[in-house]
Amino acid sequence: MTVSREDIAAFVDGELAGEREAEVAAAIAADPDLQRQVEAHRALKAQLSGHFAPISEEPVPDALAALLAPKQAEVVDFAAARERRETRRSIPRWGWIAGPALAASLALAVFLPRGGSADGYADAQLARVLDSQLVVEQGPDAETRILLSFRDGEGDFCRAFSSVEGSGIACRDAQGWKFAAQGEGSDGAKTDYRMAGAGDGEILARAQQMADGPALDAQAEAEARDGGWR
Amino acid sequence: MLPRLRRFAVGLCGNPADGDDLCQMSIERALANRDKWQAGTRLDSWMYRIMRNLWIDEGRATTRRRETFVAEEAGFSVGGEGAQEPAVELSMVDRAMQQLPEEQREAVLLVMVEGYAYKEAAEIVGCPVGTLNSRLVRGRDALLEMLGEKA
Repeated sequence: MTVSREDIAAFVDGELAGEREAEVAAAIAADPDLQRQVEAHRALKAQLSGHFAPISEEPVPDALAALLAPKQAEVVDFAAARERRETRRSIPRWGWIAGPALAASLALAVFLPRGGSADGYADAQLARVLDSQLVVEQGPDAETRILLSFRDGEGDFCRAFSSVEGSGIACRDAQGWKFAAQGEGSDGAKTDYRMAGAGDGEILARAQQMADGPALDAQAEAEARDGGWR
Repeated sequence: MLPRLRRFAVGLCGNPADGDDLCQMSIERALANRDKWQAGTRLDSWMYRIMRNLWIDEGRATTRRRETFVAEEAGFSVGGEGAQEPAVELSMVDRAMQQLPEEQREAVLLVMVEGYAYKEAAEIVGCPVGTLNSRLVRGRDALLEMLGEKA
């Protein structure tokens, strides 16, 4: 089977579905050159997200906010959210990207994913996914998608994931999968109104900062899984 | 939504000043056409479409002028010392984006930065999905070449 550049790009964007996705995933798994292309696309995506993310985190210039102020009461929400952001700096900044689901209200909000237990570790269900699911094998309808896997500066394996309920990065330590970063949930990749990239971009940009070297390719990821991520 | 709209505007225009101007025009036009927005459809897609059309209709002359200026300025910093590396890399992304044809730039921004699905992005731009897909691939390949494959 031939895999076109369109296929690679669509695969990285989560735009392929069903049989075609499986075919392309299999071809990628079998071909280091294609894996390299996939990684290059992911890196580019993370680079672009990282580059443009700061703009959406800046306070909106007063001149722009003022245009809306007299006419739409929702702006109050926005101002309140910004104020909360100022007082809660301990929450990672990228958790505050305006959620598309709230687009109509112009409000900013933060979503912390379910799937976490109180001590900062992934719960059993999420841990199972983190333990077993490989990027190249997951289907478009997977509830939780693994975005990529990498080693952090301390050599621990970390995995960036995304689901409707929440996205984030978890790193494997002796106790389990400890959250290193959490972001908002996405709407899932297979609906027409997917907005996954908005939140995922932040997570990927964060992963790029944390990673010590490039993300694991399909083979390295499979080996890491077989080795229990330790 | 406003921060995201600004991000898209700055990405299209290549600099914050023009981006904010574009953002302002878009909001004004949206407010003026409020009655044309159909409740139940996505407000953000509608706003992106307004912004994108304005950019195509009115922004071109301005963007062209600025392009020359930005490229020149970035040229100076590229010649600077290694200590400026992060800044240089950032302006590399801006510069690379500005090198892309407009149709590729908007496709790249909508999908890779704003996170729209192909179908949604195609609706905003007003072209078939296949067309959007091929613009996106050409834009990506050009960016990978300009920015170097970092993986």
